[in-house]
Amino acid sequence: MMSSSALKTVQLDGQVILKIMQHCNEALPQLVTGQLLGLDVGGTLEVTDCFAFPASVADEENDDENAGASYQLDMMRCLREVNVDNNTVGWYQSTNLGTFQTMDLIETFVNYHENIKKCVCIVYDPQRSSRGSFALKAIRLKDQFISLFKEQKLTAKDLRDANIAWKDVFQEIPIKIQNSALVQALTAELEPVTAATQGDLDRLNLSVAPFLEKNIESLLDCVDDLVLEQQKVTTYHKNVARQAQQMTTWLQKRKQENQARRAAGEELLPEEDPTQFKPIPELSLLDNYLISNQLSTYCDQLNIACTQSLQKLYIFESLQK
Amino acid sequence: MKGRSLLLPTLGTNLSVKIHPVALFSICDGYIRRNEKQDRVIGTLLGVVSEGTVEIKNCYIVPHNESSEQVAVDIAHHRTMFELHQRVAPAETVVGWFATGPALYNSDALIQEFYTKEAPNSVHLLVDTTLSGGKFSIHAFMSRILSVGEKVLSTEFVEMPCEVLFGDAERVGVELLASGGASTKPLTDNESLVTSLKRLEELLDKVQSYVDDVIEGRAKGDPVIGRYLADTLSVVPHFSKPDFERLFNESTQDMMMVTYLSNLLRTQIALADKLGTSQLPIV
Repeated sequence: MMSSSALKTVQLDGQVILKIMQHCNEALPQLVTGQLLGLDVGGTLEVTDCFAFPASVADEENDDENAGASYQLDMMRCLREVNVDNNTVGWYQSTNLGTFQTMDLIETFVNYHENIKKCVCIVYDPQRSSRGSFALKAIRLKDQFISLFKEQKLTAKDLRDANIAWKDVFQEIPIKIQNSALVQALTAELEPVTAATQGDLDRLNLSVAPFLEKNIESLLDCVDDLVLEQQKVTTYHKNVARQAQQMTTWLQKRKQENQARRAAGEELLPEEDPTQFKPIPELSLLDNYLISNQLSTYCDQLNIACTQSLQKLYIFESLQK
Repeated sequence: MKGRSLLLPTLGTNLSVKIHPVALFSICDGYIRRNEKQDRVIGTLLGVVSEGTVEIKNCYIVPHNESSEQVAVDIAHHRTMFELHQRVAPAETVVGWFATGPALYNSDALIQEFYTKEAPNSVHLLVDTTLSGGKFSIHAFMSRILSVGEKVLSTEFVEMPCEVLFGDAERVGVELLASGGASTKPLTDNESLVTSLKRLEELLDKVQSYVDDVIEGRAKGDPVIGRYLADTLSVVPHFSKPDFERLFNESTQDMMMVTYLSNLLRTQIALADKLGTSQLPIV
């Protein structure tokens, strides 16, 4: 399933990047989504256009579900009239501090995967962009994980059998940026290479404390969640052990009763009573995995921010001399 | 058609036009995708009008047919797309229309009339995608009705000042697009920091060589530049040595601590995973 049809790069049109950035930035602090259109060429997924989803589609359901679907159909029909690629290849969404690993994402992905084998989700972090870095990522779920998820086999034993660690859930795909010749002429005209740009100013900013604070707060929340999950697992183990013990005591009692009855010559009671002890379903490890992923994203971000500010601090020190 | 007459009064309002690069990119893309027989594409401009400025934020192509005698614009398409866009961004309204090409066409007056019904003071944007004259030129026009008494004679297009406006986060995007060739990979954080620092270094070198030249009499000193440099340098905070060392050490320690914590957490998760003890609580 992986071999020749594996997705190696995602090629974005400059236009798509600007549209995504504009839409997500203007909708702050709300998180928004939109659809990606393009073509699937061999090992590369070319995204040539995109459009935004109205915010109400994401929040409410019921009658707005039909409205959302009709919005999509109308938009695709209009775009087809102007020769835009009419092929959905995925969706984009904005996130808060890079946390996109939620159940919603996985479910949406599986939904898309039914129809489109090579769909991708582009995640954009507006807060990181304001610090001068390019915060677009292309994510997809690994095929193995998708098949396991569809079968709902996510217990510890199944995951170990399939050899899927928490790292194997999401896969980041490298992004390439592509511009037509006309657009290159446009950018050359618009932005002559200046000595320094606003992006430089953002990047060389020494104040990293607020960003770190927010990140660490979210990290703490995440660790709390992880601890909760682990408590759930411990409780489950305790419950299973307790149930096993109850079963043994009950069985012993039954055996004693049966012995007494044998002595008295009465009918023997059955030694098994499946209806009394229902087996406790084993917990799925999916939440655990998602939280681990989130934790690792936070840690990565913290690391990058800290190393950069260390570098900036050292440079500042040399300037002071 | 296009012209500035000295006799007629200029536009009453001092309007200027600001364009977001997103709109320009969409126009280019639409032009490339046009049907074979068409020479140019036209479409609607969406944006906001605030005192004195028309800000163009978004646009979409509207199919149209034109020949030397008549022009037909697909109004239903325009209305549908506008409604769809309204649901995403209710603040944006129709502010005008655009066309690609080197010059204004005869039929533009009719199209302008239609759009003026949609939005008062609608702006016409002419984007030269054919790169005539070796430049990618962008002009914005507003129409003015020339009339004698009650009778309307014709419409005149008056040019307005227009510039391209960059939003904050868009700068990162456009800088990236401008620095690359036909296709680029986005730079990682470290690489972009290195690039920024190199640029800063170049700037400092330039300034230093300029100052040296002025001191040695090789170049004439410009008092305005001199004052500007002095102001900039005075803004750099200068601490006394012990103060600075204390600040520096504290910041470095904070950074190291955070890095250590995050690495610790990562190691914990990795270990728990390997040992299969992710069921055990973090002590």
